Amino acid sequence: MPQPLDMVRALLSEEILVKLRNNRELRGTLHGYDEHCNMVLGDVEETVFSFDDNNQIQKQTARSDMLLVRGDTVILIRQ
Amino acid sequence: MAEEHAVAEPVVEDIGESKSESPVEEAPGNNAASEFIAELTGKEVIVKLTSSIEYHGLLQAVDGFMNITLQNTREVYDGKLVSEFGDVFLRGSMVAYIAAA
Repeated sequence: MPQPLDMVRALLSEEILVKLRNNRELRGTLHGYDEHCNMVLGDVEETVFSFDDNNQIQKQTARSDMLLVRGDTVILIRQ
Repeated sequence: MAEEHAVAEPVVEDIGESKSESPVEEAPGNNAASEFIAELTGKEVIVKLTSSIEYHGLLQAVDGFMNITLQNTREVYDGKLVSEFGDVFLRGSMVAYIAAA
């Protein structure tokens, strides 16, 4: 019986996109994960989406060499 | 020692194959969730998250947390296609429901 986390294992050392709560996304290389979806990502770009004064979508980005994402904020993982 | 393990194995398989006589297991609907998932696996489904975003795709796997993997996925919000991608992993805590498409 295939398990959903098998897909995450197949993504190890690949660049992935992680959608998080509060309109955040992370794009980076997956170095590790656990059953809570806590994940260690390398060479990460964080994007925060918000609305500006004209109700247009605005993106703010930040970079990080390495970070640990807390699993309970994860919505989706894909390549 | 190794032979003892070999003897135990077929017994485990037997339990999986035969229908249990326990009245609890035979209660209608007791296994409804896992039977429904088994029926839908490999078929087109709609997964709606608590944020109202829907993911339409082929159901690949589901686990006890209701973590889900889909193949050939379309992201749909408010009835409109937002984006398309291949395989996705959805964290179970965000899932509102899984429905047959």
